[in-house]
Amino acid sequence: MSETPRGPRILTDDAPAPRLDFGWDVTVAPVAVTPPAGRRGWSAPALAAAGVAVLLLGLSAIDVGGYVADQFTRAPWLGWLTLGVAVAGYGLILAAMLRELRGLAGLGTVERGRAAVARGDFAAARAALLDWAGRLPAAQPMLPALRKAPDLPTLLALLEAGPLAALDRQAVAAGRAAALQSLAATAIVPSPALDGLFIAWRGLRLVREVAVIHGLRPGLLGTLKLLRRTLFEAGAVAAADVAINAAVTAVTTNPLVASVVGDAASGAVAARRMLLLARATARACRIVEPR
Amino acid sequence: MAILTPLEDALAGVADAARALAGRERVRLAVTGLSRAGKTVFLTSLVANLLAAGAGVNTLPALAAASGHRLRGARLVPPGVESTPRFDAAAHLEALAADPPRWPARTEDLSTLEIALDLAPASLLGQARGWVAGERRVTLELLDYPGEWLLDLPMLDQSYADWSRETLARLRQGRRAAAAADFLDFVDALPAAARDDEALARQGFRLYRAALLRCRDDLGFRFLQPGRALNPGPRGEAPLLWFFPLPGGAGGDLGRLLARRHAAYLADQRSAFFEPFFRRFRRQAVLVDALGALHAGEEAFDDTAAALAAIAASLRRGGGWLNLLTGQGVQHVGFAATKADHVPEPSRDSLVGLLRDLVGRDTAAAGGATTSVHAIAALRCTQDDVARVEGRDVAAVRGVLLEGGRSARIYPGEVPIRRPGRDFWQHGEFRMPVFRPPRLKGDGMAGMPHLGLDRMLAAVIGDLL
Repeated sequence: MSETPRGPRILTDDAPAPRLDFGWDVTVAPVAVTPPAGRRGWSAPALAAAGVAVLLLGLSAIDVGGYVADQFTRAPWLGWLTLGVAVAGYGLILAAMLRELRGLAGLGTVERGRAAVARGDFAAARAALLDWAGRLPAAQPMLPALRKAPDLPTLLALLEAGPLAALDRQAVAAGRAAALQSLAATAIVPSPALDGLFIAWRGLRLVREVAVIHGLRPGLLGTLKLLRRTLFEAGAVAAADVAINAAVTAVTTNPLVASVVGDAASGAVAARRMLLLARATARACRIVEPR
Repeated sequence: MAILTPLEDALAGVADAARALAGRERVRLAVTGLSRAGKTVFLTSLVANLLAAGAGVNTLPALAAASGHRLRGARLVPPGVESTPRFDAAAHLEALAADPPRWPARTEDLSTLEIALDLAPASLLGQARGWVAGERRVTLELLDYPGEWLLDLPMLDQSYADWSRETLARLRQGRRAAAAADFLDFVDALPAAARDDEALARQGFRLYRAALLRCRDDLGFRFLQPGRALNPGPRGEAPLLWFFPLPGGAGGDLGRLLARRHAAYLADQRSAFFEPFFRRFRRQAVLVDALGALHAGEEAFDDTAAALAAIAASLRRGGGWLNLLTGQGVQHVGFAATKADHVPEPSRDSLVGLLRDLVGRDTAAAGGATTSVHAIAALRCTQDDVARVEGRDVAAVRGVLLEGGRSARIYPGEVPIRRPGRDFWQHGEFRMPVFRPPRLKGDGMAGMPHLGLDRMLAAVIGDLL
């Protein structure tokens, strides 16, 4: 039977070599879900909606142009008046579209800032965060210090200590106000269907209020985008609240309690949901994800 | 033990329970190990990989699985008003990633660091608590210190006479006797009733320290006391250090002077090091360079085993039934054979077996602590390879040498699963070359490549998360 050699030894001593590379960064990188090829860009419904919008606006513009030209043939003053009305109308539509785009751009800044912070890319994060802070009144006193921040942790710490803490407080206050209104509404609104309508409207308004607090002015598209993101964030916020929600629901659906407190019980549930919505929206709007 | 210590422990136990109830646990992880066992690199890797894991990077898969993937974030606790230096994990990582890379120098002082781990709630109760008190957070307290000081722990229960007798007996054995010949000649020549002449005390200490340094640096021995004679720390050399073992113990004026210094030294170590930092830890990682001990020869191997047994016995005496009452005992002990990347994968199980044999079967602290044994490399520096030795293909490791930057294949020899017999040591000693760290990102965003660190952490702190 042969034995393995026992004594340790240095076997070879080759030419100079570079440091070993185990590809560790790649091995441990979190698995990123990339959208499959061919699905980049606009979705089919978005393309269809854009086509309908182009048709509506384009055909109506051609139609209005022809109408303005007809009016000029009748009388110059009538032509100018019609042109003025048309320009004012299309101008308002254009202003609305610009506002939508600006709202979407604001959300884009938040997304770019978050991505840069997650990557640890100081230069990109600094650019996005300063862009965001420059447009936010609450961040103005902190701007000089933010510009001089030497690294990412300092920049984030300054933001957390100053503007973001103030914005979080304002968002919580907005949530409380909405919760109180929901509580009051469920007590005085006579129909459960109207209750639901009020809660839906108040929730949508709350999302926009919190977005404005965070320096975003989302239009319709921006609000829809924000609502979608808020739904994801609500999962994270609600995860910590499952037990409380279960307890509130258990108590408020108890027949005895319901007979004593009446509709106020369902109002309490609605109020809690408003507070939750405010926290979820604040998470969605924050340029730096809460630590 | 001071009279008030059990009371303090009981109060600390109540505070621990209150913090656990509020979801704000603080756990001291004592990273213990003899000198050159790799404590500093272990702590650097632990911090870098936990911070990266907190950012969602999969650096510690076994720990993540053990904790049910509940780790939401990790961050260093900002410094407060501590008087102890802060363990600079970022600087150590930058030095390892630099070109040319630098391994941490021998640790000369205590340093501490706290890392806060944010965790998702594990139960409905935890979720309810999270709503009231915020996310659950476990703060790990970490400590780095000169490994030589750990050998002062067994001295705490010994009188000067007992310590002198045992130390001299060890010094007269085998290769130590040659390294300490000058010192042994000196003390053997001293009369039993020598006067307390300071010149005698200083000369004796100089010779004793020179003997200790030779035993440590040339022969690879570890059971060397007192620790501050080898590594005085930032406070430098003080008169209380100037003692050495005497054959007659505390007899005579010189003996009494040395006994006073011995007692003052122990009191100082107890109050400055052991009491504030080595009490009330719940988790313990014991790092052992088992392969280095194996390569240093039979005597050095047995010396390491004796040092570990003495430390384990001291830790057991420090626990006991009072810990059961005050809830302050060690709960989990993880023994780790470090530098496991110096042997190929098939030999790592043997390394675990060897360490299990080295630390003995009764090393668990009192109070029912669970123990586990691992082979780890806090920073992996080699990859497995095959080499031809004496006409046979054997498993080897390949790495880049720190000196000169050349690639080298190392056959680390047979790794026995228990203390080998006498014929094993015939091949003589071997000094493992120092390898260059692999390519690293100095920002620590991806942690540090390791072997088995996650499994060890899963066993030691996995249940906390």
